[in-house]
Amino acid sequence: MAFFEARNLHKRFGSRVVLENVSLSFEQGQVSGIMGPNGAGKTTCFHVLTGLHKPDRGEIELQGVSIAGLPPQRIARMGVSRSFQIMNLFDDSVVIENVMLALPEFRARRLNVFGGVFDDKALVEAATDILDQVGLAARAWEKATSLSYGERRALEIGVALAARPKILFLDEPTSGLGTEATRRLASLIRQLRERYTIVMIEHDMRFLFDLADRISVIHWGQVIAEGTPAELQANKWVRRSALGEATLA
Amino acid sequence: MAPMLEVDGLTKVYKRGWPAAKETFRLEADFRIEEPGIVGMMGPNGSGKTTLFELITGSNTPTAGRVLVRGRDIHGVRTDERDRLAIHYHQSYQVRHFRSLYPNALLERAGSDYPLVHLFDEPQFNTQDGYIGFMLDFFRRLRGEGRLVFLCVHPNERFHLEILEEICERFIFVQKGTVTPIADFAGLVAHEPCRAYLGDLLAERAA
Repeated sequence: MAFFEARNLHKRFGSRVVLENVSLSFEQGQVSGIMGPNGAGKTTCFHVLTGLHKPDRGEIELQGVSIAGLPPQRIARMGVSRSFQIMNLFDDSVVIENVMLALPEFRARRLNVFGGVFDDKALVEAATDILDQVGLAARAWEKATSLSYGERRALEIGVALAARPKILFLDEPTSGLGTEATRRLASLIRQLRERYTIVMIEHDMRFLFDLADRISVIHWGQVIAEGTPAELQANKWVRRSALGEATLA
Repeated sequence: MAPMLEVDGLTKVYKRGWPAAKETFRLEADFRIEEPGIVGMMGPNGSGKTTLFELITGSNTPTAGRVLVRGRDIHGVRTDERDRLAIHYHQSYQVRHFRSLYPNALLERAGSDYPLVHLFDEPQFNTQDGYIGFMLDFFRRLRGEGRLVFLCVHPNERFHLEILEEICERFIFVQKGTVTPIADFAGLVAHEPCRAYLGDLLAERAA
């Protein structure tokens, strides 16, 4: 049994089938990729896997424990963390505060709203450790708005990591990033893979072929192909594509 | 076993005008496909390809005739379960609303969990990304699992014909509402209306 496993997921919105018999499995310590053209159902698939939408049918298990149909916050607390395609940050806050708010220790403070959060040494340390993991420790006390687009993406990953996930889902982490920022993000993900199990949706096939251990291709709400990057790249039409040429060169 | 798909005397007539309604479009189809396979479909814009797909999937009501999927009349199946028999993958995000004269309670169950017939309406084929290869493998997988695949392509580049030749065992050519089944690729490119439709693309291919 895989670390995270989804079997025969179905989802429809009205008369439109958005997920049809989707089965996916993600192994611990690996980077798994999901790719597919626009409108293929990738994000809906993420929403279902992380509990934002309930599947109409099918099973989802994290380490053998069923999570299908549980509320998203419950799934999050069980160790499933995610980022969104559209960034969700508190712009008026400083960088470290964004991470602090997402720490389980912060939630545990609950009633202690009067004690200043920044005086809570343990909390600050925990958040600094996370920022260090995403390469933003030096920017901890700057306004979130002062970050570049690529840094904001890294901070968003930091916010997802603050929940201390067992598995991290990233929805199109490269979207909107330029070449240099994409390169930096790739090296961040290479560092994170030592500590986390990662699943990412990506539009940028080159990025995914470079980083993922296994890739599932989704189209028409179904898994139409699966394999290691090498297996997928062996396909005649992939070799013929612009991507194939670039990879072989 | 009943044939995979039987299109039996299927007719769709569109009329317009009042008081004397004039026929504006007529689609007629009559063919059967016994076994699982991949069928290529082609024809000029407005010839009735999508209408035929809609009639086969039961989202459009025929004027006359029947569509049987493994012996089951799709127009007699609950509207919310018709896509368990035959599913239409649309060109874009359009959604057809299924209508029936009868409430679902009076209609049959589909009796299938995963569609038996898959109709792909002009999937985006471009050579930039390589998704073509994954799509073709998917069509082959469906056929291997005993399903029938229709692939409607509007060829405007040479490799579109290569795709059809590579993957389809038989063809259907649609023109001005006339549906012509064709046994193989050689027959398709020899079919005069199809030659006229493909025009330069065939010349390029020969070159």
